Amino acid sequence: MGSELLNSAPRISYSKQFYDHFPYYLSIGMTYDQYWNDDCTLTKYYRKADEINRSRKNEELWLQGMYIYEALCDVSPILHAFAKSGTRPQPYSKKPYAITEFDIEREKVRKKEIEKLNRKKAKALFSAWASKLNVPENRKKEGEDGGNNRQFRNSNNK
Amino acid sequence: MSKKINFEYEGEKYVLEFTRRSIETMERQGFIASEITEKPMTTLPNLFAGAFIAHHKGTKRKLIDEIYRKLINKDELLQTLAEMYNEPIEALMGEPDEDEGNITWGASC
Repeated sequence: MGSELLNSAPRISYSKQFYDHFPYYLSIGMTYDQYWNDDCTLTKYYRKADEINRSRKNEELWLQGMYIYEALCDVSPILHAFAKSGTRPQPYSKKPYAITEFDIEREKVRKKEIEKLNRKKAKALFSAWASKLNVPENRKKEGEDGGNNRQFRNSNNK
Repeated sequence: MSKKINFEYEGEKYVLEFTRRSIETMERQGFIASEITEKPMTTLPNLFAGAFIAHHKGTKRKLIDEIYRKLINKDELLQTLAEMYNEPIEALMGEPDEDEGNITWGASC
């Protein structure tokens, strides 16, 4: 008597669990042979890989949303019901967003180069403008030259 | 990587492992893991024999029992076998972890 209480816990069938989970692992790319006959821990890695894939897919969809949003923003001036005649849409990005490490680094280098070039241009323009001014410094320099390299920069020098 | 027991017996190399298929085969043949405490004398040799299904399916039961009798550190062996038996089901739920390496066993023969 009471022996029925000893085996009161339901018996767990591993086979049933294996069959229950089998379709999921097939859906994430595991083969029949890998699931049943290969290293049993492969399932862990397939699950992890699936998580990475889903995360990547999510990022791709988000990025697509960003492009659509940007395109709508760019075209929005002409979508305005009372837009002035001749209103034109903003130009769409010439190239995709930099998302890889390599792209980001290349973009940084490119920006720095453009900045450097702009500074150089600005410096040249400023020097040209400054040399045209009739400031004492310039006059002194011309005097030191002995007038050999003198150029008429200003009508006041005549 | 799953846990495996490697040993050599009479010049033959053996690799004991449980796959989902081998556990399914054992259960189809009437193996019930929860009986390990009630009927250890029959369950434990059956558990050991089940570990041969994955890589040494054709091995005769007589030879398996002979190897079982001669293996040393039986307590540790059975504990390892139980861990190995649970691994396929745990791998359906657990996270990937560090490789713990395979187990090399000594057979007294």
